[in-house]
Amino acid sequence: MLALLLFCVSCKASPESNPGGSDNHFRVNLGTEPPSLDWSLATDHVSFNVIANLMVGLTELNEDLKPTPVIAKSWEIADSGRRIVFHLRDDVLWSDGKKVRAQDFEYSWKRLLDPKTASEYAYILFDLVNAQEYHESKNLDAGEIGVKALDDVTFEVRLRHPASYFLSLTTFEVTFPQRQDIIEKFASRWTDPEHIVTNGPFLLTQWKHENEIQLRANPNYFLGKPAMERISMFMVNEKTTAVAMYEQGQLDFIDNQSIPTLEKRRLTKQRGFHNVPQLRGYYYGFMTDRKPFNDPRVRKAFAMAIDRSTFPKILQGGEKPASSWIPPGMLAHNSKIGVPFNPPEARRLLREAGYPDGKGFPRVVLAYNTDEVHKLVAEAVQGMWERNLGVVVALENQEWKVYLKKLQNDPPHVFRLGWGADYPDPDNFMKLFTANSGNNSTRWKNPRYDQLIELAARELDPKKRAKHYDEAQKILCETDLPIVPLFWTGESTVLNPRFTGLEFNSMARMDLRHVRPVETSSAQ
Amino acid sequence: MARFLLKRIFHGALVLWAVATLTFVLLHVTPGGPFDRERKLPPEVVANLEAKYQLDESLPKQYLRYVTGILQGDLGPSYKYLDRGVNEIVRDTLPTSALLGVLAIAFALLVSLPVGLFAAYYRGSWIDRCLMMWASFGISMPHFILGAVLIWAFALQLGWFQAGRWDTFSSAFLPTITLGAAPAAYLSALLRSSLIEALREDFIRTARAKGIKESLVLVKHALSHSLIPVLTVMGPLTASLLAGSFVVEYVFAIPGMGRFFITAVTDRDYPLIMGVTLIYTALLVCANFIVDLFYGFIDPRIRTE
Repeated sequence: MLALLLFCVSCKASPESNPGGSDNHFRVNLGTEPPSLDWSLATDHVSFNVIANLMVGLTELNEDLKPTPVIAKSWEIADSGRRIVFHLRDDVLWSDGKKVRAQDFEYSWKRLLDPKTASEYAYILFDLVNAQEYHESKNLDAGEIGVKALDDVTFEVRLRHPASYFLSLTTFEVTFPQRQDIIEKFASRWTDPEHIVTNGPFLLTQWKHENEIQLRANPNYFLGKPAMERISMFMVNEKTTAVAMYEQGQLDFIDNQSIPTLEKRRLTKQRGFHNVPQLRGYYYGFMTDRKPFNDPRVRKAFAMAIDRSTFPKILQGGEKPASSWIPPGMLAHNSKIGVPFNPPEARRLLREAGYPDGKGFPRVVLAYNTDEVHKLVAEAVQGMWERNLGVVVALENQEWKVYLKKLQNDPPHVFRLGWGADYPDPDNFMKLFTANSGNNSTRWKNPRYDQLIELAARELDPKKRAKHYDEAQKILCETDLPIVPLFWTGESTVLNPRFTGLEFNSMARMDLRHVRPVETSSAQ
Repeated sequence: MARFLLKRIFHGALVLWAVATLTFVLLHVTPGGPFDRERKLPPEVVANLEAKYQLDESLPKQYLRYVTGILQGDLGPSYKYLDRGVNEIVRDTLPTSALLGVLAIAFALLVSLPVGLFAAYYRGSWIDRCLMMWASFGISMPHFILGAVLIWAFALQLGWFQAGRWDTFSSAFLPTITLGAAPAAYLSALLRSSLIEALREDFIRTARAKGIKESLVLVKHALSHSLIPVLTVMGPLTASLLAGSFVVEYVFAIPGMGRFFITAVTDRDYPLIMGVTLIYTALLVCANFIVDLFYGFIDPRIRTE
């Protein structure tokens, strides 16, 4: 706190002073050590942010979050959406000079599903024929999985049912190709800088654990060598220190990993500051099988008593109030869905449920995992419920893993959770609350909702899909309300004004391919 | 001497076994597991993960495998850092923590010896009061505040040092002061009170009566006698400084082992928690053993015992 206070009072240093940097050297903060650079095993966005600059896959997301060709120059969808054939470019090279082939994709996808790999993201490919069975080790051979390299440049995928979102999955790093010879030769050490073989804009040159990762531009990158010759990715955990390093010119870019909540207001005035909306929803869930939240009127009353416009003001991170669940920028986002802030109607509903002015309402608990942001949100909501409904809610916080265990074993009446997109498709958000979803902690079930999600997943026409999702969102956010969406998060970023071209997308991926000094870009 | 050594080695091994067992038990009764995620993993994925790390075995079997691994010098895989084992993590990070710890100990001794001597010699004077006020300040100042203030003053305002990271010689300066300040203050206060007591002893009176110079009385006779309590705290202090400090490593972005005492617990990375705990215990056992040997050199009565 003292440090923050001192920072706010005065900061003499300037990020533009850039000690130790140069025009072709760009420095970012990862925040922590990437747990793995093996894209079959990585699960966190720190690892993916490194991998995304080392590797490319079949497709990538464009500005509208639609998959566009990268290694796949085209594809055909056949058999009513059950078969996809990708045609690959033949000029993409691995860093050791060999060509990227369809067999590299086949190997990577099968490795992801192999029970021995024990990948946490194996389920991403469960839509492939026999994939889940193979992962469950049901005496299936890998050859029976629905993926096959028909030749060096043709990759065939067979699905167990049409899946409208499947192309989006091919933008996800876990589906990027891998070299069987390298992985088999070096086993778990294949991601060491001296062994790893990649195909993206940058090459891994050094990995000093807990300290920094060094990349250099790939001169043979098939889309052209990046402008930055060198990239340094530091691992500075403490946000206050990271901001100080930016102010001192030791870092050229910082994001939420590096910016304390209380510093955001000050940094918004800096040149190079941007808030990037994220495909990440923040919600409160109700335990729907327990009194008093087994009554939809009570849930609706609680939802209507929340003024969501408060959250961007207290969090200062570019949050957007959310009344529906599918985030802006995604297919089927509909801001008209959801219950509005309406205290009189909320009180009426609560009265109708048998609790006039909150009288007789049992003691309920709102739980969250210990964190500065979650505490601010919980205290704000606690105040709103007390003011608008006359209900006093007790707050409880626990350490993250203890909290997750509690949600499974002894869930509180109301709990906090969030969800970030694995791939930018509404299916990834809406499937969360189906009856069989392991992530549905509300214990709410609605067969019509499940049916709509299934229909939308199998429907290839975007308009028809959006219609299904509209109906499902109305059930989720207007009538049944097992959850109250509160806001979609934002990412605060500050880029040194000496540079331009950094692309930070709504899935928190940092693309450094087009970063260049401002002078160069002006000249061009 | 051989008997003494054997006895200490046996005691050390016993302590290590007790700590390893207790850590193992505590970890398994703590709620939450290594694969609990915000995104709940499908049961088949969890089953494969548990099979990979042999967490599907019974607890006694896991314990036996764990102890056997330790005896063979293998601390196991990390559940969080998938490209490295615990041995490699310790190998990569312990030297940095140890170097910072050595610098902090050197700083603490360099500061505390003269401060303790001056304060004791001028006891009751304004010099004593000022030095002891500084010592109280140093003991009570949390690392994270001192570190932040030093960064603000010396990195942001004066620009003499970099705000964070561990890559140049000068980058060790601020973390060394931050880590060494509290031990320096504590040792100063301890040395002062021990010296004041020693200065009242008969042998000091005899030395003064013999006409030995006051500085010699203070340094040669009183100081050596006063080092026993300082040595006693140096054992655990050295072990904790060498094993790394979570806060200092966190604030200054130092790639040391100290951070894992916290992060490995929040990640429920069982092998890593057990690995760093065992390393810390081993350091503690060794440091206490060395301190015991030093006792004998400083005070011949202890050697005889």
